[in-house]
Amino acid sequence: MKIVTIAAIAAALLLGVSSSAIAVERGGILTYARYADSLFLDPVLNDANVDIWILSNLYDTLLLPTDDGKGVQPGLATDWKVSEDGLTVTLTLRDGIKFSDGSPITGEDVKWSLERAAVPDTTWQFLVASIASIATEGNTVTITLAHPDPAFISALTVFNTAIMPKALFEAEAGASDADKAKAFAEHPVGSGPFMFSSWERGSTMKLLKNPYYWDKGEDGAALPYLDGVTFEVIPDDATRILRLQSGEVDGAELIPYARVDELEASDNLNMEMYPSTRVQYISMNVRQQVNGTDNPLANPKVRQALNYATNKEAIIQIVTHGVGTQLTSFMSTATPMHTGTDPLYPYDIEKAKALMAEAGFPDGFSTSLLVLAGNQDEIGIGTAVQQMWAAIGVKLELQQVDNATRTQQYRDGTMNMRVAAWTDDIADPNEITSYFAYSPTIDALHSGWKNDEADKLYEASQSEIDPAKRAEEYARIQEIFNTEGPTVPLYETPYPVALSKTTMGFNQIPLGNNIFRAAWLDK
Amino acid sequence: MLLIPYIFRRILQLIPTFAFIIIVVFILVRLLPGDPASAILGDRAIDANVDRINHELGLDQPVFVQFLVFVKSIATGNLGNSIVLKIPVVDLIAQRMPVTLMLTLMAAIIALILALPLAFLAALQRDKLADNAIRGVFQVGLSMPVFYLGIILLTVFGAGLGWFPVGGYGEGFLDHVHHLILPALTLALSLAAILMRNLRAAIIGVVGAEYVDFARAKGLRPRLIMIRHVLRNALISTVTLFGLSIGTLLGGAVITETVFAIPGAGRLMIDSIYGRDYPVVQGMTLALAVCVSLTFLLTDIVQAYLDPRVAR
Repeated sequence: MKIVTIAAIAAALLLGVSSSAIAVERGGILTYARYADSLFLDPVLNDANVDIWILSNLYDTLLLPTDDGKGVQPGLATDWKVSEDGLTVTLTLRDGIKFSDGSPITGEDVKWSLERAAVPDTTWQFLVASIASIATEGNTVTITLAHPDPAFISALTVFNTAIMPKALFEAEAGASDADKAKAFAEHPVGSGPFMFSSWERGSTMKLLKNPYYWDKGEDGAALPYLDGVTFEVIPDDATRILRLQSGEVDGAELIPYARVDELEASDNLNMEMYPSTRVQYISMNVRQQVNGTDNPLANPKVRQALNYATNKEAIIQIVTHGVGTQLTSFMSTATPMHTGTDPLYPYDIEKAKALMAEAGFPDGFSTSLLVLAGNQDEIGIGTAVQQMWAAIGVKLELQQVDNATRTQQYRDGTMNMRVAAWTDDIADPNEITSYFAYSPTIDALHSGWKNDEADKLYEASQSEIDPAKRAEEYARIQEIFNTEGPTVPLYETPYPVALSKTTMGFNQIPLGNNIFRAAWLDK
Repeated sequence: MLLIPYIFRRILQLIPTFAFIIIVVFILVRLLPGDPASAILGDRAIDANVDRINHELGLDQPVFVQFLVFVKSIATGNLGNSIVLKIPVVDLIAQRMPVTLMLTLMAAIIALILALPLAFLAALQRDKLADNAIRGVFQVGLSMPVFYLGIILLTVFGAGLGWFPVGGYGEGFLDHVHHLILPALTLALSLAAILMRNLRAAIIGVVGAEYVDFARAKGLRPRLIMIRHVLRNALISTVTLFGLSIGTLLGGAVITETVFAIPGAGRLMIDSIYGRDYPVVQGMTLALAVCVSLTFLLTDIVQAYLDPRVAR
């Protein structure tokens, strides 16, 4: 059965439409193979996808992302209202909601959790930076914003706004919030569909069904259907697949593109390709000088030439084995307010040569590209563009470095180019735009690129409550960035996940979250 | 008996070794480009966040002060907290080192079980069919990369025949042993090949020695000659080689642990180096250094027992 069908049914259920097309089965533990272990199970202080992508199973948020990752649906709050001036958000908490230890979720927990998420200088605070104050009375939560924030409702679905039990958290040992968080994250309590059971670091994490979860399944009884979920950490791609094929696990994430066709043809597996917000690109340093010498990449025509000289379709075939699709904007098609229908910079070597000549580099130049050591995708991309750009005289040196070295080099502004990838964390274009195009955040991907119009449009978009006007602002930002920005957009790819034929109802939304809430095993 | 003062002397020699290792690892890990905050945050590394994290970790202090903090943490035995995993380094060592040590120990035992009898057989059947067959098979084992051999063993004996689990570590001691047999075999094959070749050559050398001829002339039973005169003398170089190889085995465990999804020290070490998790890298290096040093010490003792001249 296709995952889309289940997702649709789950969505229909949430909207209160009854359906009895499929008889779900209850019980059983689903074992899911991950490529890496989680690091820190705190919703506010975590920094990595290995945490973010599973947190929603443990911690519930006031609102939930829809299955397509673009919209919002009720969570711990049954409804929400934004005042006309955009400055007040009123939410109604669901009756009788409890944490997995059976204690009730109070307005105080909600207020405290959101205030904790809004403490400045944490990685994710920018998502809720507009919060001015929070008041609760009975089941009503009233959030006053410092300025209208069109992305705020979406932010209430993001992991860092998860509702945590204030009393349990504060009872932890430690002087500071960070210390208490460390202690709490060793045995977290939340109100998600599952609750924490045990964790052998680097090996296994066990979650059990939360008996107090609020949502109902298709059969009218409480979700989740499963008795539990066990995550197994299997870093090696081949072993992860082998373990799935031998039936020792029910699902495996991050299937290498090279194996997708083979697993699709397999009789006892479903090879799922979940739509994602993941984009792969080459990012450039466009400062006038790099390491004391003039930088050809500062010239927009050179950047356009490199774009035209890049045969993206060929790279998609070589690196992703045809799984990827060409980008039509710097943001993925799954990102709200994405614009563009045609692939950016169709391969045109003559145009590229002409642009190089116009820019004053008819014979090309030498430069370098950072690729992540040992990462086959990045090395593949690097090798491909090295050959492609040689046709316009660009001599490219590939430098294999590890992640920390690469980060240091682009933060210092000493690199020329790097291969990079991005995934959204919120169903809104504001996050990717802030990092890619809005120069005050990180100098536009640490590139040194700055466009005053894009900066102004972004600032306006952050408090624009007319959706049509906001969409126009993002359309224009995309137009500017896609024409003269500091990147070579390459492709977007879905999340390749392989599941046993008996695994049903699992979903990975475009933001990456692994959703086991409505998953079940067909025994 | 010269052995006791010899052991004492060797233990004293370990102290400057450890001091040297502590200093070198402290410097080396900081010479790597990048810092923990950059490694953790990547694209999202905004200056304010990087500064906040570095301040929390005390990485904005002078290097000298950081070194004193590190030395103090060793002296008090707590080794600090992991930057990435937020838990004490000693806990991590306690969780991960036994796994890797067990894997290494099992690999060493398997290697010995394979190498000793086959080396004898090959030496005594020198240049005959058995000798060539044994050497041929081990040559293949030696030249196959660990990750490839691992996947083949997993495919055949795990997924195919179902005799062993396909990776993972299991729960409980016997389950751990069951899970570790294939990875230990993977690690053991190359070591067994080296040991077998070395011991075979040593036996061939010793069998032709004059004192063996003499023993034979005295009319000693062949079995006694083999054990007391041939094996004891042939083993000396093999023991040295075996001891030195334990360090290599611990290193090889990194790849094996990744392929077989075993939560051991090797994988943690690699992740920690990539994550610039200074306290973990320092603590684990120290723990590994202690293990390797103790193995060398044990090797020296065994060698001194086999060849008393060593202890003089």
